Amino acid sequence: MNDTQMNSTDTPLLSVRDLKVHFPFRRGSLFNSQKGVIRAVDGISFDIARGETLGLVGESGCGKSTTARAIINLVSPTSGDVRVDGVSIAGMSDAAMLPYRRRVQMVFQDPFASLNPRMTVGGIIGEPLVVHSLARGRDRKLEVLRLMELVGLNPRFLNRYPHEFSGGQRQRIGIARALAVQPDLILCDEPVSALDVSIQAQIINLLMDLQQKLGLSYLFIAHDLAIVRHIATRVGVMYLGRIVELAKSEDLYAGPKHPYTEALLSAVPVPDPEIASKRQRIVLSGEVPSPDVYYPGCAFADRCPVKIDRCITDRPELPPKNHAAACWVREEALTAKSAQTN
Amino acid sequence: MTQTDPQNTTTATESSQTKSSDEPILRVNDLHVSFKTDEGMVRAVRGVSFDVRAGETVAIVGESGSGKSVTNLAMMGLVPKPPGNIDSGQAFFGGRDLLSMSDRGLQSVRGRHIAMIFQDPMTALNPLMTVEQQLTEMTRLHLSLTRHDARKRAIEMLGLVGITAPEKRLRDYPHQFSGGMRQRVMIAMALSCEPELLIADEPTTALDVTIQAQIMELLADLQARKGTAIVLITHDLGVVAGVADRVLVMYAGRIVEKADVRSLFAAPQHPYTIGLLGSLPNVESNRDEPLAAIPGQPPDLSQPIVGCSFRDRCEHRFERCQTDDPILTPRESLGSEPHLAACHADVNTGETRQ
Ligand SMILES: Nc1ncnc2c1ncn2[C@@H]1O[C@H](COP(=O)(O)OP(=O)(O)OP(=O)(O)O)[C@@H](O)[C@H]1O
Ligand SMILES: Nc1ncnc2c1ncn2[C@@H]1O[C@H](COP(=O)(O)OP(=O)(O)OP(=O)(O)O)[C@@H](O)[C@H]1O
Ligand code: SF4
Ligand SMILES: [Mg+2]
Ligand SMILES: [Mg+2]
Repeated sequence: MNDTQMNSTDTPLLSVRDLKVHFPFRRGSLFNSQKGVIRAVDGISFDIARGETLGLVGESGCGKSTTARAIINLVSPTSGDVRVDGVSIAGMSDAAMLPYRRRVQMVFQDPFASLNPRMTVGGIIGEPLVVHSLARGRDRKLEVLRLMELVGLNPRFLNRYPHEFSGGQRQRIGIARALAVQPDLILCDEPVSALDVSIQAQIINLLMDLQQKLGLSYLFIAHDLAIVRHIATRVGVMYLGRIVELAKSEDLYAGPKHPYTEALLSAVPVPDPEIASKRQRIVLSGEVPSPDVYYPGCAFADRCPVKIDRCITDRPELPPKNHAAACWVREEALTAKSAQTN
Repeated sequence: MTQTDPQNTTTATESSQTKSSDEPILRVNDLHVSFKTDEGMVRAVRGVSFDVRAGETVAIVGESGSGKSVTNLAMMGLVPKPPGNIDSGQAFFGGRDLLSMSDRGLQSVRGRHIAMIFQDPMTALNPLMTVEQQLTEMTRLHLSLTRHDARKRAIEMLGLVGITAPEKRLRDYPHQFSGGMRQRVMIAMALSCEPELLIADEPTTALDVTIQAQIMELLADLQARKGTAIVLITHDLGVVAGVADRVLVMYAGRIVEKADVRSLFAAPQHPYTIGLLGSLPNVESNRDEPLAAIPGQPPDLSQPIVGCSFRDRCEHRFERCQTDDPILTPRESLGSEPHLAACHADVNTGETRQ
């Protein structure tokens, strides 16, 4: 009794420790082949508490989707640990995984590729209810109709196939499906990127409302920094497989520390033609790092406007504090150390 | 066959303002597209007309499901028939009607003169071919490049769209790329033949804002060098504000507002557009307050629509909106291009218009 009490208050719902996902590759022909490894995710750690939303942002290709896929074991982590309620899921049998699969749902980034083209919408949204034996027959149909309405899809479309929907309609099918089994955690990978801002607002309000009522948690991956700011309690900024800044949402937006975060925030387009024509973004020059190269120092160093010698040789780790940046120059917790060696 | 629809005829004001010196490169006229479904005929595009001039960027924004993709797929001959059908309309490109062209004729135009970036990357990318094969196919066919030159061109294009170590990654298959990298491969394919008209359907949804800015600069550069006209479909109103010359706002299969970009953002004239701009998360938005959204749902396009398609959700509606279908009429423009809206109300005064 006491144990479970402890669990639900102190242990984070999701805890990721030093997660690595490397994709080995061999390219080319028999005689002219290159071997190597893509370090898609290269040692990241974070927690998500009950009722919390962690936003995850970063450059295209930096490993956000791979992180989410590794959490639900769609790709096997190369190393590291993923725990749900303190229980490690590595090496779990399929049977042991089943309840966990219900509790952790994912909304996939590509609304076109992630829906089974041969199933009707009713079938797609109802499938998890079948898999987890949650509702049958008429109840299931009613539940599917309720979910469709919830995400703003006309229930008359129940028997349509995915290709008969627009991009944004398909995205909402994916959201309805994830909500069907009343999960504890939803990994949302660009869940509103195909929606106009009004429907986007409806969906965000829905997610936040469910969070308030049911204590849901979200990992929220998005490129739209204004939306992340609104929905996320904390935000992690990724760069080439690592988290380079982690902070409470308001702190990050008010005062980004990492030079990459700064550049990112400066590039947010503003919906006002007068301001847009006058604004300057920080343009990064220098070599863009490649995920198949091992960088002993900071992967951002070559593009970084404030780098010092140490950045090229030593890797800055994210210090364990509330607003943390992995930067030798900008993170007070690290600057002392770099002063000693420089 | 042709449904008569008052909105479709290009209004006199509009055509008289189009200077003859800059003849449009694309002229879409009264396009109607429908799909046969279990629920009946879905009228996805209900009379759409617009022009695009060389060197110009026209953004199309609007409700999810309002017909933005279908309008552009129809011009490219890519609406699946059946269940789809082009009920009426023309799309003139270089004096020829794309909608009545043979498949072979269209194929010679597609990719070379008109390129499209698809909302669904898998419409354009073949999962069984390497990125190199897909990128070189187009330039070898249309620009008659040798294998070697096509490869060089592919590496150059991948580099331009910000893929690191492009010579290595050419050998990958699409599934080995991230969502945003696949999107950029598609952009590279579309740009590699330097088309005169580029149709970009949500080209940057999977891109972070720095790479998005880099891609937008690439498009602007092509536009400056080749006078390429761009039709940009996007939900990102920040991008629209940054790059568009003119904006078309779609709702329920129609264009409900057409305007100069500055005029649209400064003084939107259609209640849907006002609601859309009002739904933007604002910088000071508070977590405790829900985001503003337009209440209600769009109409079911498989049912006949009488009156204004937005009326059930509209704050400004009058009795007349229940019965009369509003057509695009000119309003005061705060920019250099005309401003038109299809609404019976004058949103500035709240009065009904004559
Ligand atoms: N199955 C795979 N095989 C090989 N490499 C892969 C595979 N999946 C992903 N990668 C690589 O891993 C890196 C990270 O990809 P990921 O999809 O996680 O990025 P992302 O941050 O989600 O990007 P985006 O914002 O563009 O969606 C990329 O370099 C990608 O090419
Ligand atoms: N093959 C099809 N069969 C039936 N209906 C279809 C088909 N393709 C599209 N539709 C319908 O046509 C309408 C217009 O779709 P379209 O894809 O053009 O929307 P969109 O404006 O591009 O939306 P989004 O912003 O969500 O991509 C939608 O209501 C959609 O459900
Ligand atoms: S560690 Fe150095 S190179 Fe990396 S971001 Fe900080 S200052 Fe720049
Ligand atoms: Mg991704
Ligand atoms: Mg679309």
